[in-house]
Amino acid sequence: MPSPRRRLAAALLLLALGAPALAGDLILTGAKPDKLYVIDAAKRTVLHEYRIPGANGLVGSLVPSPDGKRVYAVINRMESIVGVDLATGATVFRADLSTPTERVKDFFALTVTPDGRELIAYEVPTRLKPSEYEVEQPRFAVFRTDAGLKAQPVRVYPAQRRMHMLLMRPSGKSFYALGFELYEYDVKTGRLLGTRGIQHWEMPGHSQPDLLAFWPVTEPTGVFTSPVYAEAPQDGKPTPTTALMSLDVATGALDYRDFEPMSALIFSTVLSPDRRSAYGVYSTLTKIDVPGRKLAGRVPLDHTFYSVNVATDGREIYMGGAMCDVGFYDAATLEKKAILKLPGCADQALASLRVLAAH
Amino acid sequence: MSELKPTNRKAELLLDAAAEGRAAEVYAMDTVAGCATTFDPGWEVDPFGGVASLCQPMEADLYGCSDPCWWPAQVPDTMNTYPDWDAGKPSAQNDWRELDAVFPKK
Repeated sequence: MPSPRRRLAAALLLLALGAPALAGDLILTGAKPDKLYVIDAAKRTVLHEYRIPGANGLVGSLVPSPDGKRVYAVINRMESIVGVDLATGATVFRADLSTPTERVKDFFALTVTPDGRELIAYEVPTRLKPSEYEVEQPRFAVFRTDAGLKAQPVRVYPAQRRMHMLLMRPSGKSFYALGFELYEYDVKTGRLLGTRGIQHWEMPGHSQPDLLAFWPVTEPTGVFTSPVYAEAPQDGKPTPTTALMSLDVATGALDYRDFEPMSALIFSTVLSPDRRSAYGVYSTLTKIDVPGRKLAGRVPLDHTFYSVNVATDGREIYMGGAMCDVGFYDAATLEKKAILKLPGCADQALASLRVLAAH
Repeated sequence: MSELKPTNRKAELLLDAAAEGRAAEVYAMDTVAGCATTFDPGWEVDPFGGVASLCQPMEADLYGCSDPCWWPAQVPDTMNTYPDWDAGKPSAQNDWRELDAVFPKK
């Protein structure tokens, strides 16, 4: 990312040439039954409303390609993955995971290699037999992203059960898979490289934690964060406590830090660009002082939001998911600045809210 | 299993198979989400034992629960069993009057 001085110089040059100023963030979200939205965050307007053919009522996890030109989405009751060109709305990639004899679901989990050439999906297969369903071994399926609209996997390898998120590491050699534990797999061979504790975390005096990580947000820092709930000792008594989990996908640093006795639910969190604050949403907007390990602020929201994100410059918090509103809040004061209602007010439900930084 | 009594021939065969080590392995969970694999409190009660921390309003959570089959006892499972339950009703807050009850197929 260019330095602020270089960005300012570039903006001044564009102004001098009579060109529009540098654009701000673009927000991506999905909505029922088959909608993909590209939102201009600065103008609070929908730039594009695209229809994804065959979405069949569900547009779920969204994963932008590394060059920001496409977004990949889990659709079709979690049985298909599409890649959509963000400039035209055309579906340029599609993998239908199920066959007439095998039902395959991808519960939210997919990722793309840094060169944009391969997509990895987590498949939960069930063999549909005449009189019974046979649960099969979950697996990773690797697709070439240039495979078109009838993509078939080029590699398949077995996976652990109970995954719901994949996060590619910047090297492109391995990726993280979050389930009951944090796993790391080799991209080429599918070999399990390591396992670290989530359910078996090493937090002295803490109970087994509870984690809901369905929203694969690592922008703008390259760090995935999530609230984690457990009982922790306070004044000698086990007390329900909320911790912030953070995983730096570049360095591999995994950190848990308690920040409050559990007093509100949080579904998803995001880390500010300076890594000093984290923001979480559910029915309240929560601000966490990360180095201070404490609650820094909390305000009620108009209604429940599932998915939170933050502006690339860190000044605003974006939120979506659940209903048809995309919220814009001040990151410093937590004051509501704007609500954008999606056209037709279709529910975003479980769709991810992703941010593409201005280029 | 010793406390369970087979009530039909298929159940007797299953007991025999288990005793002889021929029964297939039982997998408790394939995924954290999906069709009653979660033991979180349902829509009736929140983690604090009240209702104030349930989703507000409940319509905000309706499709977030039906799509991943989160609480199929409370919300129809659109992932597998009732895929058309929300068809033509993209907004739970506006379309909730159109959402029907569902019944098992005979």
